[in-house]
Amino acid sequence: MISRLRALWNNAFRRKQLDRDLDEELEAYLKLVEAEKLREGMDPEEAHAYARRQTGGTDQVIQNVRDVRTGVWIDRLMQDVQYGIRTLANNPTFSLVSVGTLALGIGANTAMFSLLDQVVLRLLPVRHPEQLVIVKETGNHYGNSFGPNTMSWPLFEDLRSNNQVFSEMFCRFPTHVTIGYSDQTVQISAELVSSTYFQTLGVEAVLGRTIGHDDDSVPDSKPVAVLSYSFWQSYFNGDHNIIGRTIALNGQAMTVIGVAQPGFDGVEMGEPAKVFVPIMMKTEMTPHSDGLKDRRRRLSWVTTYGRLKPGVSTEQAQASLQPLLHSILEMEVQQPEFTRSATAADREPFLRNRIELLPGSDNDLREYMRRPLWVLLALTAAVLLLACANLANLLLARATTREKEFAVRLAIGAGRARIVRQLLVESLLLSGAGAVVGLMLAYAADRILLRIYLPADAAAEFVVSPIPDERMLAFTFGVMLLTSLVFALLPAMRASRTEITLALKDRSGVASTGGMSLRRLLVSIQMALSLLLLVGAGLFVRTLRNLENVGPGFPTDHLLTFTTAPTLSGYSFAETKSYYDRLKVDLETMPGVTSIGFSTMPILRGYAWQNAIVGKDFEGTPIEQQPVLSQIDPNYFATLGIPIIAGRAFTAQDVAPTDYAVVNESFAREYFPGRNPLGQRFGLVSDSQSVTPKTEVIGVIPDRKYRDLRETPPPQAYFPYLAVSNVRGMTVYVRTQGDPRQFGDALRERMHQFDPHVPAVDLQTVNEQIGFSLRTERLVAGLSAVFGGFAMMLAVIGLYGVMAYTVLRRTREIGIRIALGALRSNVIAMIMREVLVLIGSGLAVGVALALVLVNLIRSQLYGLNARDPLTFISSAIVLALAAGLAGFIPALRASGVDPTTALRQE
Amino acid sequence: MAGIESDLLQGTLDVLILKALALQELHGMGISRRIGQMTNGAFDVKPGSLFPALHRMEEAGWLTSNWGLAETNRRAKFYALTRTGRKQLQTEIERWARISFAMAAALGIGQEAL
Repeated sequence: MISRLRALWNNAFRRKQLDRDLDEELEAYLKLVEAEKLREGMDPEEAHAYARRQTGGTDQVIQNVRDVRTGVWIDRLMQDVQYGIRTLANNPTFSLVSVGTLALGIGANTAMFSLLDQVVLRLLPVRHPEQLVIVKETGNHYGNSFGPNTMSWPLFEDLRSNNQVFSEMFCRFPTHVTIGYSDQTVQISAELVSSTYFQTLGVEAVLGRTIGHDDDSVPDSKPVAVLSYSFWQSYFNGDHNIIGRTIALNGQAMTVIGVAQPGFDGVEMGEPAKVFVPIMMKTEMTPHSDGLKDRRRRLSWVTTYGRLKPGVSTEQAQASLQPLLHSILEMEVQQPEFTRSATAADREPFLRNRIELLPGSDNDLREYMRRPLWVLLALTAAVLLLACANLANLLLARATTREKEFAVRLAIGAGRARIVRQLLVESLLLSGAGAVVGLMLAYAADRILLRIYLPADAAAEFVVSPIPDERMLAFTFGVMLLTSLVFALLPAMRASRTEITLALKDRSGVASTGGMSLRRLLVSIQMALSLLLLVGAGLFVRTLRNLENVGPGFPTDHLLTFTTAPTLSGYSFAETKSYYDRLKVDLETMPGVTSIGFSTMPILRGYAWQNAIVGKDFEGTPIEQQPVLSQIDPNYFATLGIPIIAGRAFTAQDVAPTDYAVVNESFAREYFPGRNPLGQRFGLVSDSQSVTPKTEVIGVIPDRKYRDLRETPPPQAYFPYLAVSNVRGMTVYVRTQGDPRQFGDALRERMHQFDPHVPAVDLQTVNEQIGFSLRTERLVAGLSAVFGGFAMMLAVIGLYGVMAYTVLRRTREIGIRIALGALRSNVIAMIMREVLVLIGSGLAVGVALALVLVNLIRSQLYGLNARDPLTFISSAIVLALAAGLAGFIPALRASGVDPTTALRQE
Repeated sequence: MAGIESDLLQGTLDVLILKALALQELHGMGISRRIGQMTNGAFDVKPGSLFPALHRMEEAGWLTSNWGLAETNRRAKFYALTRTGRKQLQTEIERWARISFAMAAALGIGQEAL
């Protein structure tokens, strides 16, 4: 073994010396034979000749020795590589086009994979992330809920102390808190965590310690906080003396006890946590909300995680948790809170609720991005496939012109395997160069994508990075190998079948027929694939247009928005109300401001406050039947430009609790069909008291979007905020006279002067906000259009190449036809017939494929049928025109063939 | 006697070289001549087969080589057995004994001689 390695080393790095030694050794042999013969009495000249004859040609011996050297394959490979580089360098146009095509194809795939991997595929950076699951209660909750993956605090405690399948469980609640910073206050994301959070995740403190059991056993007892590593770096400049210092969160003094390990930003990507606080401090961190202490089972707010015991599968755990959940549900339906929140008919479906275990790295962003990113990766894969088809086509053409070279090599004794290997090495060189350039392109592309995709201030926080990591490199390498196999194997196999005698005959005038049917097939496939991509691009672009045109249902120009939360700065409810009274007066006097409106729920941000309502003859409790609610100030509708189509808006006198409501048309239609909604009454279902329908409808507004642009406007009901006792924070809408974008900085400055302790968060124009909410649609539309165009270009080039080659091959035949009296138009028609067959077959396959595959993107579309005829027909026409034009050039050239020149060839 | 082409008998050359070097170290031509003597001239090993075999066996660790002076005071490369080479020779001898015994029995060579 060691001698082999030494031999490999010597052969690789001391070759010159070895070759010199071998020469000398053979020379010595010659001389020794010569000396022997001389001794036997042979005449010197004869002896010399005899010795030469004996060795049988020194070169042959040297070659034989070299062939048995260890690592001779490396030698041969190096030869192949050198030869390949020389061949490619001799053909710079071919090489540049190939490398460029591959670089775009591989680069696009790498860029998309990197996003997909980091956003959708990667697990959390914690110990054994595959054991971590989110514990979710499926089905309707009946009560207040912070989202589909949440559960009540008592349910978490029940599961934690009674399950057999988790080695440990924890729960968390993401929220926003303010942190004081010199003279200003900023809002940051925080994670309220149970005592088992860090221990279960296996996340350590890089400084100080993490939150433990003693920090989280008695409510309000331990004002401590752990900082995230990146927040510690950016906000405290990595100050090592931070441990033991006090920071003000929501005005509450909290002691910093540790800094979490680098790279850990909480369990939810897209909303990186900056500080971790014991969940027992909930009252201080989410002022005026006591879901922890009042132990309500009808308030669902914590996200619960479990670490599976070793050897327990997700399915086993899920099955084992059902009886436990069922016994808890049996207990819950007995409680008066449940009977107040749900009707008798809701009991049965509620008892069928189940525990579902989701992968621990799941989150909303991942859920939301999964499909678009997979679609984009599929598109880039199709583009790469197209690029491969083009290269295969080019290589087939080259293989035909190189037949003579191969024949010569075969004739002088190269094995066919050697020729195949040579061609594969050339292809690997091409795809290797393509991969290197592609990686650089991917880096640039990811940077641009992230910049487009994220708002400027969030990009810095977002944990997705454009820098290639080992997973991305492995992916690129795999793609590179796969591509070179795909585009090179066919031409290589063909080339190795070269017939020596045929190829060596001079046939320069008649290019060989080799591979024409294969090349036609490739072009048809390219046509089909690019039609697929064009249809996809058309559908996505039209979806974006539709969403942009549909609008939210009110005029959004000249509208700015931001959010404030005075209760996070220690304001009481009374102080918060007075804050908004003063803010209204202050902003209305600001030059350029037309009108101010407040709402407790922001619009078009994906959030909604829903509650079951009850009326004289209806009771809608399941969540999908619940209307969307908000509390607003009297100027809200006027500021947003929403007309009152019946009745009246609120006035400053509407301060009595839940006496009056303004509803939209859908609400009126849904709950008071065929009646005048004005004067009708309804009530909000509550788990703490039984409700009579006493809220009176005083006004009706037209339907408008609430959560996002894609939704059908839901039934909506609005209450006056002045009538509500517990306003915590509100979203402010400001209508301006001029361009609202010019107004942002002045407004931010004004807000800071008005109250430096209450930061204005998410300040932007409503149009910017809408634009941002469409970022995924814009990304998919833009990229699919680019890929579609690129695919069409590749297919058209492919078709042109094949037709140009066909014409070249048939020059003689065309010459004869013209000499015999064929018209130029006949020749054009003859060639174009072939072109049309290629286009037609490709389009037919493409349309058939597209009709099936659009089902996969149906959910991504808006405002059009997935089999939208306009998109299909226009894509086909565009592609057919471009390809027809590309085919017409060779046809025209064919018609210009000079019969005398054509016939004189050969 | 005409030389038997060494590649006719796969593996023959290796064992002959090992055997030739069993007593003393030799240079290339010395090995060739020694094999000729040992086989009564039946094997005439040509350099085209000899040198590749020597280099292959050296890389396999059976032989070592160093430069020394040959009969005519000419510098030549001498080969010697290593410990692995000696072990290999032993294995080969046993293998050949088995084969030749079996072949002789199969072809009835011993009986014919009787």
